[in-house]
Amino acid sequence: MSRNSLRGKVAIIGIGMSPVGKVPGRSPLWLAADAARKAVADAGIRKGQIDGVLSSHAFASPFHRFSVAFSEYFGIQPTFSNNLQVSGASAATMFNIGAAAIHGGLAKIVLVVAADSLMTGLTPDLALRSLTESRDQQYEMPFGIPVANTFAMTAHRHMKEFGTTAEQLAQVAVIQRKHASRTPGAQQTAPITVDDVLNSGLVTTPYHKLDCSLISDGGAAFILASAEHASALGIEKPIYILGGGECYTHEHIFLMPSLTATGAIESSRLAYNMAGYGPSDMDVAGVYDCFTGTVIMMLEDLGFCPKGEGGRFVADSQMTYGGKIPSNTHGGLLSFAHSGIPGSLFHFHEVVAQLRGECGERQVRGAELGLVHSLGAGFATNATTILGTGNTL
Amino acid sequence: MISAADAAHKPLPTPDADTAAFWRGLRENKLLLQHCADCAHVQYYQQASCRACGGENLAHRPACGRGKVHSFSVVHRAPGPAFKADVPYAVVLVELEEGPRMISTFTGGAPDQVTFDMPVVLTFEKVSEEITLPRFKKA
Repeated sequence: MSRNSLRGKVAIIGIGMSPVGKVPGRSPLWLAADAARKAVADAGIRKGQIDGVLSSHAFASPFHRFSVAFSEYFGIQPTFSNNLQVSGASAATMFNIGAAAIHGGLAKIVLVVAADSLMTGLTPDLALRSLTESRDQQYEMPFGIPVANTFAMTAHRHMKEFGTTAEQLAQVAVIQRKHASRTPGAQQTAPITVDDVLNSGLVTTPYHKLDCSLISDGGAAFILASAEHASALGIEKPIYILGGGECYTHEHIFLMPSLTATGAIESSRLAYNMAGYGPSDMDVAGVYDCFTGTVIMMLEDLGFCPKGEGGRFVADSQMTYGGKIPSNTHGGLLSFAHSGIPGSLFHFHEVVAQLRGECGERQVRGAELGLVHSLGAGFATNATTILGTGNTL
Repeated sequence: MISAADAAHKPLPTPDADTAAFWRGLRENKLLLQHCADCAHVQYYQQASCRACGGENLAHRPACGRGKVHSFSVVHRAPGPAFKADVPYAVVLVELEEGPRMISTFTGGAPDQVTFDMPVVLTFEKVSEEITLPRFKKA
């Protein structure tokens, strides 16, 4: 642990979430402001106390500088603001960078906020663009590569190398649906079986429709402040940022060093080192789940089970209650909601709520330490954040 | 902004300063790889310097055309209207004999013929006056 470590320096003192799923007639700015208003109220501060805003791009919004447009909409004039864009990994980077900004004196209270309306807010033009412009224009797009394809090829190779099965992939969707059934407001709550997943129609092998995450509207927001500031504000249950790490291994799938060992190994190693805790210490996790196979690979790379055993780990009920690491207890991107870049913020919302002990019937009893891993772009981007209660400092 | 009419057409690459020679090579049915004279690294993605050593002594040499399928995914739901008529088709991640990997599609047979580590050979498909795409068929 370095002398300048961020460990325990910054706390999450407020959380908020907009309605998620199908939220017609609401812009990304409305969704973001709704989440932010709730986070401000949760922290018990005034919005004028916010002097830093970190956000990310919203596809359904015309604003190139979303964090700036948001601040105008929300009626604040921050002195630190930026839009982070490393695809799905952006969520965890907002916490890592927000903590660094506070620790480094750039801001006192940082609002992390993102929202998008992928389900109802995209014009036909934007929807077409999202379908056709997501990969390299010269080396990938001419071959007709859906967004799911790069992730599918990693999972497929994992099946070849380690004997992971389609049934094991499906099990991830089944478990997370069960989790979502106990989460108020989740987009998909009807129980599903392994057979339902396998019969849901192939999208791109090995993935069926129910192996793929949802498309949703929604946003989430968080208030970050220094540990001292949190204490001065009398925050009842601050949740501390104990460690953060990131890793960027490639841009193009054909330059990914290994299809089955990702940058999550390094990003989580850095986060664990900073936190002074290891995978076996974690009580709850939010594991980026754009596809079922992604979760299996991440459970390995984050150190919850040995490489190659993710499929068996899931089938053995180790990623749910009573298992080694209850993961995506809200239902994740597969069943709770997936509004693009903000999707992984819902994992943060859930893990913070779990650490505060506010999850009611889906509470992981005695949860004190949690990990959130965000990733994107066919594993090109990976970012990990480790969170803990006051007892873990 | 892309229009519905544009989306009905398959996206064609627009060669740039880094890739003009590469696409010219494909027009002559050659897949040009960059060979580093300093460290012998071979790269498919075209750029001004060697990613391994940073050297700028790169020479183009045509690939031998042999490779094997490192991974693949058979597309059943097309990414947009332009590819709807083609499904199902196999997107392949091919490891070339010279070392680099590349993305392409399988041609010359049903997509369910594709298997892991299957030997494949390069073939060329002219799609416009300017653009010829590299594809792979069973060796």
